[in-house]
Amino acid sequence: MNHLRHVGKSVKRKDGPDKVTGRAMYCQDVKLPGMLTGRILRSPHPHAKIVSIDLGKAKALDGVKGVITVEDTKGIKHGFVETPRYPADQEVLARDRVVHVGEEIAAVAAIDEVTAQAALELIEIEYEILPPVFDPHKAMREGAPEIHPSHPKVAEKESYANIGGKTESGWGDVEQGFADSYYVREDRYESHLRTHGYLEPQVTVAQWESDKLNVWTSSMGAFNKRAKLAKVLDLPYSSVRVHKAYVGGAFGGKVDLYSHEYCAARLSMLTGRPVRFVASREEIFSAYRHGQPLVVEIKTGVKKDGTLVAQELRIINNSGAYRGSGVVVVFLAWGFTMAPYRVPNLKYEGYSVYTNYTVRAPQRGHGCPQVRFAIESQLDTIAEEIGVNPIDIRLRNARVADEELPNKDNTHEAGLQDCIKIAAEKTDLVAKYGRDRKSPPKDSSIRHGIGIGISAYMSGTLIYPNGSGVIIKMNDDGSAVVLTGAIDLGQGAETIITQIVAEELSLEMDDIKIVSSDTDTTPQDIGAWISGLTYVTGNAARQAATNARVKLLGVAAEQMNVTADDLYLDNKEIISQSNPDNRLSYQQVIAASVANHHGDTVIGEGFWRTMRDEPNHPSLATTKGRWTENYAYSAQTAEVEVDLDTGEAKLVKALTVHDCGFPINPGLVKGQIDGQVSMALGHAFMEEILTKDGYTLNTSWLDYRMPTIHNMAESEDADVITEQYEVGQSYRTKEVGEGLVSGILAAIANAIYDATGVRLHSTPFSPEKILKGLRELERQQKAAE
Amino acid sequence: MDQITDRTTVNGKKSRSRVLEMSINGETHEITVKPRVMLLEAIRDKIGLTGTKDGCESGTCGACTVLVDGQPTLSCISLAVENEGKDIRTVEDLADGDNLNFLQEAFLDQGGTQCGFCTPGMLMSATALLEKNPKPTRDDINKALEGNLCRCTGYNSIVDSILQASDQGVKPRLL
Repeated sequence: MNHLRHVGKSVKRKDGPDKVTGRAMYCQDVKLPGMLTGRILRSPHPHAKIVSIDLGKAKALDGVKGVITVEDTKGIKHGFVETPRYPADQEVLARDRVVHVGEEIAAVAAIDEVTAQAALELIEIEYEILPPVFDPHKAMREGAPEIHPSHPKVAEKESYANIGGKTESGWGDVEQGFADSYYVREDRYESHLRTHGYLEPQVTVAQWESDKLNVWTSSMGAFNKRAKLAKVLDLPYSSVRVHKAYVGGAFGGKVDLYSHEYCAARLSMLTGRPVRFVASREEIFSAYRHGQPLVVEIKTGVKKDGTLVAQELRIINNSGAYRGSGVVVVFLAWGFTMAPYRVPNLKYEGYSVYTNYTVRAPQRGHGCPQVRFAIESQLDTIAEEIGVNPIDIRLRNARVADEELPNKDNTHEAGLQDCIKIAAEKTDLVAKYGRDRKSPPKDSSIRHGIGIGISAYMSGTLIYPNGSGVIIKMNDDGSAVVLTGAIDLGQGAETIITQIVAEELSLEMDDIKIVSSDTDTTPQDIGAWISGLTYVTGNAARQAATNARVKLLGVAAEQMNVTADDLYLDNKEIISQSNPDNRLSYQQVIAASVANHHGDTVIGEGFWRTMRDEPNHPSLATTKGRWTENYAYSAQTAEVEVDLDTGEAKLVKALTVHDCGFPINPGLVKGQIDGQVSMALGHAFMEEILTKDGYTLNTSWLDYRMPTIHNMAESEDADVITEQYEVGQSYRTKEVGEGLVSGILAAIANAIYDATGVRLHSTPFSPEKILKGLRELERQQKAAE
Repeated sequence: MDQITDRTTVNGKKSRSRVLEMSINGETHEITVKPRVMLLEAIRDKIGLTGTKDGCESGTCGACTVLVDGQPTLSCISLAVENEGKDIRTVEDLADGDNLNFLQEAFLDQGGTQCGFCTPGMLMSATALLEKNPKPTRDDINKALEGNLCRCTGYNSIVDSILQASDQGVKPRLL
């Protein structure tokens, strides 16, 4: 019997009422008595030596309470990655040199914003301009300006000064593979710079109380922030408390430690008053971290039937002026390459290259859309060249269930083949494909096209804090309080954890109150940035509930003179199966536990770690070691319209067929899908951070065009359910919050080709590029005639 | 050159604060503000209603939308002094205690809120629309909400929320 009452249901958000009434408290709503306003002085140059800094006038300004530079820090470095190969590479404020526009040099705390801004303008800095480098290819050349002379070289065989990281992997023999192939081609694809576009600006409030730092900060995981902040402040973790606040969207942009977080803390410690920093939208666009465009060079060989034989990829990431997550992206790009299709011979090289751009952060999909755009575009080109349709070539190569991957991961119940088949059936893709190219409509400039893209994504991996704990405190009336470090960014973490606990303990959703994301009062949690929260924290919650349930059953068995296996839970009662009249309420059982078990009030503990037998995360250098326990698979199709007169393309309809294992809350899954389709639409057609010499040119939403309500696409979806949920059993759920920005981007590119015959090799898919492609086709046609 | 702060004197005079009587959600509040203070700052910092959100301070995102005499207004680019004596409504005005109104319920039923940061502004734009136009078409909804950015939902569920709230055949999607 597996009758589920809460899990698997589209339950409304637990935090919904707070969010529609304005009661939800975000960091910007934290107001403390005597709070000072902080501002940061940023570099106006992409690369310069700091000759001198004079703070005298700023410090003397009436209303200024504190001014700091790197001299007021302990000089402790931090990084998104901190490993022996990739040690922390960034100080919280610039020392002697600035390496990107917007780099933080000094910070001020003052009684109000006007005074703080005035103080910044009184800081006198003398710079000596150094030559900058922005193009990663130029940065890799001999003689390029070296951005981090002190930095250990990671690629010893290579002399390039600015390689911040390199991933090398492969198997088989690619040269032999290409020699054995029926058809081989090489292509190059480029993606462009976009930003996260979280609506809530980054805000930090810090309050130092003699030996304790209270912090409210926009984040994607309180424990990761605590660890980084405590490190750079040289404080024990117990002296740093990151409090809960709602987060107004993050999409990867709020994981890293930001300089303003340190400055708020340090200035509060120095002034003895709470300090608040709010990043202006202009600062976010011009100085904060954006995503990571990749250059993907790809050579692929196939058999006559389209079976992949060999693939060689060289990926170059422009990581900006510090390492950020650049070295992670070039590792992940390998994973997003090998997970969906079987490639018997693979050679992979990924370079992360320092330039004088702003630092780069993870961004929803973290390399996956860039990689899938390249691979799926090229696969369609190959399919056409050898006369195989886009569905058959994918089915031929797509991974199946229970396959062992080269890194010893297993695909388990992978539903990719079903995803592709269902996507093809639901859209009638094979019949529609090529229709407007074969017989172009005569009376219209509009062409229709359809395309498909697939992707795979990890569902949690090992990186600090590695595991999640959950505590459930039963109240003596039978209701429960759940303590979890999970953070709800809008994805619905609090809701799904409550559903799981309600299911396992046979409670109603309203019987459960959740206390979350507070480093002092809740257990450690992996955070909402490695696509594993539902799986890892959810299983911890399930285990905590099991722990409480076993205690309740044990006490009830004693009281009811039966064995525990005769008992079941139903709506806050424990009932004997053999004699249903023999029953006790939770209230009675908990009272008995307190009376007869030394005051045990029934507290359930649970914890979970993915890949529990693996000692460590996989190697970023060699890809050796397990990556993830659950791969989420998907196939997405795009139907587009392109106007041949204007070159303008539009996504009309998206279909997402995905294997998320088991949807704990299908309604929340749908919300994630729709949001990702919208974000991919922005990626494809609208959004681009424009830069010149390291400066951001478009620093507002008027100039950086994000999808508005006028830019909606119809978004349909279908679940391929490959896992089950059973009370008392661990479960596998798969990622659904970020990988689905990927296949759809590739599908849009393939659909534009299908509509027009124009193959785009770079994002965004602008009218200029499409018109240029159309002109080129006309030229070729004329030449042929 | 001297830096200009709030204590700077110009021709021997400091920038003079003004006492305003603001009508917010049917209550009159007396506040003292500098002439440069925006309505958003007055609502959030002087009156203490933090439901209205501050997303860009430049009138580009719509998170700060409030109703001024029934008109959706970007409170981050509207001076507080210009709004004295007007009827201002914020997200806190929608529910009656713990009882959510039909529009708030619809947002929960449709998944129209995720991170929630755009939600107060969305709700106020939608409130103004439904007060004038109880059965808006899709085009009417697009027009009314075109100034409100949402990064989480892709807007589909927000449109459905308004169609449900206006009783146009869209059924609740969530339980």
